[in-house]
Amino acid sequence: MAVKAFSDEWATQFKDEVNHSSVYKSAAKGWKWTVGLVVEAEPDKNFPEAKGVVMDLFDGEAREIKVGPASAAQQCDFVITAPYSRWKQVATKELDATKGMLQGKLKLKGDLPTIVRYTKASQEMTECTTRVPVEWPDES
Amino acid sequence: MLGGLIEANVGSRPEKRKDFEALASRVGIWVTDIEEGVTLDFQKGRLVVHNGLGPKRDLTIRAEAGTVMNLSNLKIGLFGMPVYYDKVGRGVAAKLVQGKLRIDGLLGNLATLNTVTRIFSVAS
Repeated sequence: MAVKAFSDEWATQFKDEVNHSSVYKSAAKGWKWTVGLVVEAEPDKNFPEAKGVVMDLFDGEAREIKVGPASAAQQCDFVITAPYSRWKQVATKELDATKGMLQGKLKLKGDLPTIVRYTKASQEMTECTTRVPVEWPDES
Repeated sequence: MLGGLIEANVGSRPEKRKDFEALASRVGIWVTDIEEGVTLDFQKGRLVVHNGLGPKRDLTIRAEAGTVMNLSNLKIGLFGMPVYYDKVGRGVAAKLVQGKLRIDGLLGNLATLNTVTRIFSVAS
């Protein structure tokens, strides 16, 4: 059953997908930083307020993934910022996250060498997002 | 992002700073699956990043986004040479053989390619 995008239920399912992924577990060995996703508001897409997804990721495990204010996500070690519609494109495989970062469509803040070292982990994490069935606010 | 990566690498690793300060070369990187690229103008301790492929390039690397990222994950081995025999290296070598990674201007600029690879490398 589909969950509302960027809701608490979505965060729970996303965390479960990440922790069920053996590919992620292996690729993210040694990762010990928090990652924040900032979802910028797009009122014309029925997403009126920015949200933040805070991911406490450690050594191949998602210890916690929770949705809250954008300001919380901005405190993370790594912060990836994009408008709502861009994140939707990533979650529906319309936009590859790596390409998005190279093109500047997803703004990345944090130690670049570290995130490049863990490209495979971030790719698998994106795959995990696509496995969560979502109700998108601009489609309701 | 590529300019930022170089900046971070050079700032944190003295051996990369040494390479950076010795390098004078224009290197193009064209990401084939997004049809975008940059020209990195290395000027012995200074880097100017231009959008697109500019003129008078010594080397041009053409590859998909994933391969460009894998180039950064190449380990550096003996004598400062990239390692092509581990998993990442073999993957990059395979792309080269398959024609999915093209390096124009390689002949005569191998040393430059190795230096650029060392500067880009994030592998510890």
